[in-house]
Amino acid sequence: MQRMILTQTSVFAILMGTVSSAQDIPTHYTLFGTPGLLEMPSAHTAPDGTLAGTLAYQDGLLRATTSFQLTPKLSLSARYSIVDLYEDPVTSIEEDAFERSFDVHYRLNDETRYLPSVAIGMRDLFTPARFGAEYIVASKSIGDRLTVTGGLGWGALGLRDGFDNPFPDLSDRPTFDDAESEGELASDFWFQGDVAAFGGFTYQINDQWGLVAEYASNDYPETPGRPALKADSPYNFGISYRPRPNVQLSLASLYGSELALSGTFSLNANERPSMSGFEKAPAPIKARSEAELSEPSWDREALPPEALRSATAALLEVEGLTLHGLEVTETTARIRYSNSRYRSHAQAMGRVARMMTQVLPASIDTFIIETQARGIPLSSVTLSRRDLEQLENRAGAAATLLDRATFTDANERPPLQDSPNDDTRFAWGLGPYFTINPFVGDGGIAVDVGLSLSARYAITPQLVVSGAVTQSVLPPDKDDPSPNIDDVPNVRTDGGAYGDDGVPVLQRLTLSHFARPGPNLYSRVTVGYLERMFGGVSTELLWKPVRNRLGLGVELNYAVQRDSDMAFGFEEFDYDVVTGHVSAYYDLGNGYHTQLDVGRYLAGDWGAPVSLDREYDNGIRIGAFVTQTDLSYDDFGDGSYNKGVRISIPQDFFTGSPNRSSYGTTIRTRVGDGGARLRVDGRLYGFVRDAHESDLTDTWGRFWR
Amino acid sequence: MGAVLEMTCGIKSYVTVLAILCLAACGTLREDNPGTQVAGLAGQLITGQTGARAAVLVSQEEILSNPGKYMRVNIRDLDRWDTMVEAARNGSKVTWVDSENNSITLENGVIVATRGLPRDLMGADTAQVWAAIRAGGGNAQRTHDFLTDQDQISQQLLQCRIAQQGSDTVRRLGQTLDATRFEEKCAGEGLQLTYIYWVNRSGLLLRSLQAISPDAGYLQIDVF
Repeated sequence: MQRMILTQTSVFAILMGTVSSAQDIPTHYTLFGTPGLLEMPSAHTAPDGTLAGTLAYQDGLLRATTSFQLTPKLSLSARYSIVDLYEDPVTSIEEDAFERSFDVHYRLNDETRYLPSVAIGMRDLFTPARFGAEYIVASKSIGDRLTVTGGLGWGALGLRDGFDNPFPDLSDRPTFDDAESEGELASDFWFQGDVAAFGGFTYQINDQWGLVAEYASNDYPETPGRPALKADSPYNFGISYRPRPNVQLSLASLYGSELALSGTFSLNANERPSMSGFEKAPAPIKARSEAELSEPSWDREALPPEALRSATAALLEVEGLTLHGLEVTETTARIRYSNSRYRSHAQAMGRVARMMTQVLPASIDTFIIETQARGIPLSSVTLSRRDLEQLENRAGAAATLLDRATFTDANERPPLQDSPNDDTRFAWGLGPYFTINPFVGDGGIAVDVGLSLSARYAITPQLVVSGAVTQSVLPPDKDDPSPNIDDVPNVRTDGGAYGDDGVPVLQRLTLSHFARPGPNLYSRVTVGYLERMFGGVSTELLWKPVRNRLGLGVELNYAVQRDSDMAFGFEEFDYDVVTGHVSAYYDLGNGYHTQLDVGRYLAGDWGAPVSLDREYDNGIRIGAFVTQTDLSYDDFGDGSYNKGVRISIPQDFFTGSPNRSSYGTTIRTRVGDGGARLRVDGRLYGFVRDAHESDLTDTWGRFWR
Repeated sequence: MGAVLEMTCGIKSYVTVLAILCLAACGTLREDNPGTQVAGLAGQLITGQTGARAAVLVSQEEILSNPGKYMRVNIRDLDRWDTMVEAARNGSKVTWVDSENNSITLENGVIVATRGLPRDLMGADTAQVWAAIRAGGGNAQRTHDFLTDQDQISQQLLQCRIAQQGSDTVRRLGQTLDATRFEEKCAGEGLQLTYIYWVNRSGLLLRSLQAISPDAGYLQIDVF
């Protein structure tokens, strides 16, 4: 009988579009890690929000690319390459040169039944642009298996059988002079020089297997500074295998003489593997009866506030939340708690509200819920208990409740007495760590693996001692810090020489104090061994109204460079500096956030780092930053201004279990000494904004989860 | 069938909540306070033990001899049966919880919310569905809220037609019950789905097969 029911109802029928389009064919990734053929681009883009990592290897060239589909039409890529380069004269070859590239690709139109999509793009935007190329390309899907691509390329894509640039003014493409500064926009080169045609197709045999063939317009002439690769033939062929929809493995024959292997792994920020999360059900609302609703007050003798408080604390603990204060009047309850479990403060707030209905007297009709972090209240959200009861499990409940909620500064009300909580006063942890730091001072990659022991003790909720000791398991290196080769102190470029003696090192040991000095104001003072390379005092003041998208901050630090053994001394370098900056933070809306800092940095230089981040409501963040200071190119080193991209993915995106941790990485040009900020823990804006109206609204859908 | 159905008592957190309330009641709170009211239910569930995760063995006989106390659910996509107990009542909506801390909220037997499934139904307005069943068939509009991968609420409108399909029998736990079978066919944007209900003469929805979401699949619910 049961089996019959199943068969009869045949579960869900999802209506799919029947017109074939490029979206039906999985995105094919090139060896450059971008959507396209093998070496040639196509006009197609990955689905919006796709983040793809590609590792491609062939003899003499290893490419590691991260590509991101920022908007439905705009793709950005960052790449590290280890490549053999021709030197001058070309009879000698520089092996394993480390190059980094940034690409941009913009699709101009959507493909239609008859018209192809067309895209314009640039590879390796910055000098020395070893792979620098520009292109205009058109692609069309035919049926649901075949795509055909044709395009014109400049630069590295205009080297084979090229013809004159149709614009005479752009006919000569200059050659990069190694004496010139690297890391600058290579705009002098863009769309200049000869043009060459390229093309090819992809054919998807079935869900797993695909074929690709192309006529490639690039070549590898024996020219100083160019990749030392062979290209005997313009024809490339490849086969791709997709064991899973988000994995592409490829084997390719390149230029008639080379074999290449690649693997692409992608995720889409809009498609969470954990869907809406796997956390278990919250305790439901305990609704009051009609009789209870008319109760004007409650009996404090029968139900002492202290008993309410202890019951509430225990209920919050069930949800992994910590009660810090509860104030109850005849009709209002104000609660303050901290959330170390749920990525979404709105979800934590929803669980707190439901727990409050379990235990608070019926006459209490207003809940004022205050999120606290690092001992200070971040916001105050007022909810009607009646609304909670009436809206629970109804369609539109989240939007209606948000509409009726009131957001204010928690500082407007008198302080809540902190609950004494010896259980949470001390915490410690021991675990492995793994760090990769590309482009340390000598241009190489520093990798470290070991054990980290960390601990914190809250003297008061706002005053915390914390520290971390690490022990690397890698063999001791004992590199000496390099001598200053310029007038700029090696405030970051000596980083690789720190803590490499094979003994336990003190990562940090600080005393921090957080406070609310006034309305909309937040402050931090941190004293001690602030980070691996510096100790001192760091102070910060932030103005950030709860309902405002703008935040303004000022930071002032006195930093002394630590000894490279990372013990307690400050004698080795005899370097100290006063740094500080004013900061503006702005939530631009639609998931874009920006930050501008203007001030003085660790090397004594003055400058203005600026960053732009795309933040998804599910917590994925992808951003780019650039730092320009008054240091000269010669002093700043490679890159002349520091820039890079950073990616952060919350753990719950993958696991579906409530968690506030995230995986993150930063891909940057060499870590220079210019524009270097102290790496101090607990900067205010990051955790303060989390519980403000804009961020709470972003994940308000989780309030009822 | 005769097998003893084992159920770990209630949603873990919910039982813990009740246990805590009981503790509060045993400590500072007095008999007539709200904590004790909730703890009264806790007493049933945790059989006098506080703080510990209590287990209840629910036999076939126990289920059949206590109408309204238990509900059986089959989460089709997980191929899992479980017994649920009532956790809360809010107006005409009743929330039931299973041993894995998943919950289902029903209004007149029609699912209006779930928690703990891969794509929960966050809330729904289904009043017209029940009205159509009571009327022996008709049209109804459903409004369903889902939580998207971007933590936003996505609201889906479904236009449904409920038709009576004649007499049928429901066989379960050794019983054969007469019922009227109803089929509800719904269509919304990019989605078509079917619900089936078996309703007895008293208007009780004895059994139903109800859709949650494409990711969560169907639930078979048996009400006793």
